[in-house]
Amino acid sequence: MSARLGFGARAALTLLLAWLVLYPMLIVVREAAHADALRAFASRPGEWRALWASVWISVASVGLAAAIGVPLAFLFEWLEFPGRKTLGSFIALPAVLPPFVGVIAFQFLYGESGFVARAVQRLFGLEQAPWQLQGAGAILLVHAYSMYVYFYLLTRAGLAKLDGSMLEAAQALGAGRWETLGRVTLPLLRPSLAGAALLVFMTALGSFSAPYVFGGGFRVMTTQIVAAKLNGELSLAMVESMALALVTVLGLALLRRTEGDDVLTALGKGTAPRRRPIRRPGIRALATAAGWALAALLLLPHLTLGLVSLVPYASWTTETLPPLLSLVNYQRLFGEPERLRPLMNSLWMAAASTGAAMAVALAAGALVGRRRPWQFRGPIEALIALPWALPGTVFAVALMTAFGVHDPLRLRWVLVGTTVLLPLAYLARNLPVTGRAVLAGYRQLDPALEEAAASLGAGRGATFRRVTLPLLTPALAAGGSLAFVAALGDFVTSIVLYTPDNRPISIEIMSSLRVSELGVAAAFGVILMLVSAAVLGVGVRR
Amino acid sequence: MSAFVSLDGVRKQWSHSVAVGPLSAEIRRGEILALLGPSGSGKTTVLRLLAGFETPDAGRILVAGEDVTSVPPAQRRCGMVFQHYALFPHLDVGENVAFGLSGRGRGEGERVAAKVAEVLALVGLDGFERRQVHELSGGQQQRVALARALAPEPRMLLLDEPLSNLDPSLRERTRRELRALIKRVGITTIFVTHEQEEAFDLGDRVAVLQAGRLEQLATPDELYERPASLFVATFVGRANVVRGATARALGARDGQVLVVRPERLRLGDAGVPGVVRERRYTGAAAFYQVETETGDRLEVLAGPEAAAVGDRVYLEPLRCLTFPEGPA
Repeated sequence: MSARLGFGARAALTLLLAWLVLYPMLIVVREAAHADALRAFASRPGEWRALWASVWISVASVGLAAAIGVPLAFLFEWLEFPGRKTLGSFIALPAVLPPFVGVIAFQFLYGESGFVARAVQRLFGLEQAPWQLQGAGAILLVHAYSMYVYFYLLTRAGLAKLDGSMLEAAQALGAGRWETLGRVTLPLLRPSLAGAALLVFMTALGSFSAPYVFGGGFRVMTTQIVAAKLNGELSLAMVESMALALVTVLGLALLRRTEGDDVLTALGKGTAPRRRPIRRPGIRALATAAGWALAALLLLPHLTLGLVSLVPYASWTTETLPPLLSLVNYQRLFGEPERLRPLMNSLWMAAASTGAAMAVALAAGALVGRRRPWQFRGPIEALIALPWALPGTVFAVALMTAFGVHDPLRLRWVLVGTTVLLPLAYLARNLPVTGRAVLAGYRQLDPALEEAAASLGAGRGATFRRVTLPLLTPALAAGGSLAFVAALGDFVTSIVLYTPDNRPISIEIMSSLRVSELGVAAAFGVILMLVSAAVLGVGVRR
Repeated sequence: MSAFVSLDGVRKQWSHSVAVGPLSAEIRRGEILALLGPSGSGKTTVLRLLAGFETPDAGRILVAGEDVTSVPPAQRRCGMVFQHYALFPHLDVGENVAFGLSGRGRGEGERVAAKVAEVLALVGLDGFERRQVHELSGGQQQRVALARALAPEPRMLLLDEPLSNLDPSLRERTRRELRALIKRVGITTIFVTHEQEEAFDLGDRVAVLQAGRLEQLATPDELYERPASLFVATFVGRANVVRGATARALGARDGQVLVVRPERLRLGDAGVPGVVRERRYTGAAAFYQVETETGDRLEVLAGPEAAAVGDRVYLEPLRCLTFPEGPA
């Protein structure tokens, strides 16, 4: 590629990305900067309460997720007990539950008419349900369940990188077990812990499904935005979006600073400490029992979903367990074309947006992945990462605003109400995950491999097809499967941008719930869960 | 002289202070040329310029009379063996070797397979076609890389530090095998190394580079016996560099630097007086550090029993080289 052509291609990609992810945000900023909307926002105490709720819920989610995930990581990485391997694979189970599906599974399980509540009611002969699953507590429960996985996985990865001889050195220098933990292990884990905290904070801040279903009177910013949009208060929705985006960026900056450098990689890797078997039989049995209880707890939402999906409409009233089970919901789902359509919609939109996101990531990798010159490298990487820093609701409102006006001179077209906008949103939201995977893949690629191909007579295209692409396949599969699963189960952006012609599964689940067709909703959830698990199983191999 | 490859005033500027060239050299058909120099001397750049991975800012590169200066690597027909071999990890040995062989037409598959078998046999890896690359030892990987480079019958062979990734115990043998193989194929070969022994053993001629400049291009004997510069004299082989009174006592004129190799000094009965300060025993011989009265230290290679530490000795030069004192 000649230098000028390369420059042109890089510039074009930068502009395309800027148009897709930055431009809509800038439009929102400009339109939100109207005095009326700002005054409306500032004068309502509810808005400030919701903003504050978003922040404290996120901070509390980080604390809870860490409290569960970090000890589990130590348990599984450092100790040996019966069933450790099997249990270890159960731990990531929440990851295959799309957020909205996880939330409804929780409702079926722990909600006021869920299995647990019914069992307690029956057990104690209560008149009413023993509790209501509502408010901040319910949201935190769901967050802790679904987000501890980040802490668990990142801490385990950090522990696996730890050099056992460092811990031995500390002990040889007279540090006891706890002192070693405090002065050596935890400081070395700081990047992993900070990274996990960042992920949980961002996810919790953008979390929509749990507050939407369980919030009740308790409002957070994401639900406020959607409520304002549904009420037609678009300018208020924009101001709210900006406020949430600001908090997100602030949190990002703050947590990034604590992340620090990865000192472990700087020192080179050693051998991870050996796992210690638990010797005392009592404790061993206790650890094993606790482990299996935990696995059961993690698996319960999935089982619940499966069970509810087998309950025919209106057949389950006051019994603790449903009296009648059949496959009728699945038959309806696959038998009635109207029911099948949301599934098809979700599949094509997820496939198209993932394909496009992978193509953009490949283009970015080929243009700035590794080779000189570095023009546009920073902007392209930043633009690809940007959607990750923005809550889905905010991004959806931005796209809705930017593409609700016909103004071709300003590169704005009316896409609201068309089937294109939602996949476009999925595409933008998927850029960070595919982009990061592909760019990392490119960086790990030895440039000598492509030079070797060239010296053997392979031109640019042949080198890409015969060497680069095959070597990038694992990265593409990993990034692509994560992106596909995210798009397939998306609820946040869908609820803002869907049209009757591209109703995705999550919206269909919501409307099934609204007409009390719990079984159908659960059946959709099960299908979503199975497809997600299958795609992740194929794509993300270790 | 019939030059097969010529560099004509080739120059590559990396930054304000780092540049290679201008550089001119001629390489004969079938010759093995070593590019020798310390790290940062530009030897790898020269190799990459020849392969076409870098384009010179000035000058021309000719191969068999054809100007290839701006020919892309894919059309240059240079076989290249990379320092870390760059074997394609997603392909097996046979597929790696066949990579540069076009084979889509009818009956081409058999021709490719035959060629792969032929070059694998050439490097002593008969029947390795279906092995995975990561199952091979370092030496085997190197030979696969060589087979892959030779399979498309390139016009010249370029090797980037071909032996640096091998076990030291393996290097000497591999070096001899490599040379025998290249001579059997008869291909014009240029390789990069920072080890003098490797350059001397493997190369017909050696080009010594320093700071992007060609210091001397000559046979190993000539480099050692008649180095063109003080740098070559000290970089190639062991050498004592002396200045001032001691240099004059050994025969240098004012303003000259004197270079004398350890084996060209004799511990005799007359000459420059000194005291033995250290003795380093190597088995067949010993190195003696002799301190002269002016405080210069010279290294002498002599028999293991020639002197003891503390002995007063006289240094007798057999052959010295002198160079004008350059800017320090």
